Order: sequence, then C-alpha cells, then structure tokens
Amino acid sequence: MSTAMNFSNKSFAPRPPDKGAFPLDHFGECSAFKERFMECLRRSGYESAACRQSAMAYLECRMDRQLMANEPLEKLGFKDLINEKSEEKPEKS
Amino acid sequence: VVPGETALAFYKAKNPTDKPIIGISTYNVVPFEAGQYFNKIQVKQRLNPQEEVDMPVFFYIDPEFAEDPKMAKVDLITLSYTFFEAKEGQKLPLPGYP
Repeated sequence: MSTAMNFSNKSFAPRPPDKGAFPLDHFGECSAFKERFMECLRRSGYESAACRQSAMAYLECRMDRQLMANEPLEKLGFKDLINEKSEEKPEKS
Repeated sequence: VVPGETALAFYKAKNPTDKPIIGISTYNVVPFEAGQYFNKIQVKQRLNPQEEVDMPVFFYIDPEFAEDPKMAKVDLITLSYTFFEAKEGQKLPLPGYP
C-alpha cells in the first residue's frame, strides 16, 4: 500500500508505487548477485550509474525465483542495457 | 543517482529475538520538498528468529525534479528506512500525521 505523506499546500498527485516493495529473500538466493552489485558500487565510488548492469542482474535473479513480480526490464529503466545484451544473447524477452 | 534513472540500494535488518517478528518497513525522504518526487511505500514483512536479511530498495527520481526551480539548491537527498514491529490491531503512527 502506498501513502502520501505530505502536508504542504502544493497539490501533487501521489504517484502509485513503482516496484519499491519486495518479499524477503529468506534463503539468500540472490545474495551472490547482491554482493556483485555492492562490490561494483564500492569500486566505482558509489556511482549508481556505473553499476546498472549488476543491478539489472540482481533484479533478474529475483524475478527468476519469484521474489519479485515479473516486469520487462525496459520498464525498470534498463532499456539501453537490454539492447547491448541482445547483441550477445539473442534469447531474452 | 541521476533523476530519471532507476537505482538500487540495500538495507539490512536483523531480528535479534527468538520469536518471529512481523515488521513494517517504511521509508522517508529529506529534504521534505524532494519527497514529492519519490514514492513512499510501506511493506509488512516477517523476520524469523535471529534472521538477518538484506532488503532492496529500487527507486526512481522523477526527472521533473531536475526542472523544478525549488529543487535547484538540493543536491543531497537522504532516503532513510525504518523497520519497526507491527502489533496486532495497532494503528500505525505515521510520522508527520496527527
């Protein structure tokens, strides 16, 4: 559920949540992917843009294991990375 | 993090007790005005005894943020995550609400 916590007089329509909430990965199935992502962040000085490939891999791991609702990667902001990927691997929806 | 680009972050939570805990996690953003460009979500989750989990937060800052003149001086946004125990029938005291 989402709530708009805002007292200001500016009117703004609260946007419905975008993919913010996840079930817990109780068995750490995607921990390796998380580690890879965190290592990338440390190496890049916490530059989020540098680690989008790893972020995408993590989310794919979650989707493959039903730990996240399936969404096309383009909708999650990885459109440009998909195009690179499909050059190496033709099979990817 | 660049407005318009999705980003991933992780928080860690641990249940140090011997009983499972149902927790509610919520996140908040400062400065206050930047919050309108963020989605705020509350999630109810269960942590087993002694369980420690990494919780991902996947978020997106609306690119309109970069065009809002009131946001021109904002170069640091802090996203904080709170995980607290839900009690049966408890009405959630949301920060900022009376």
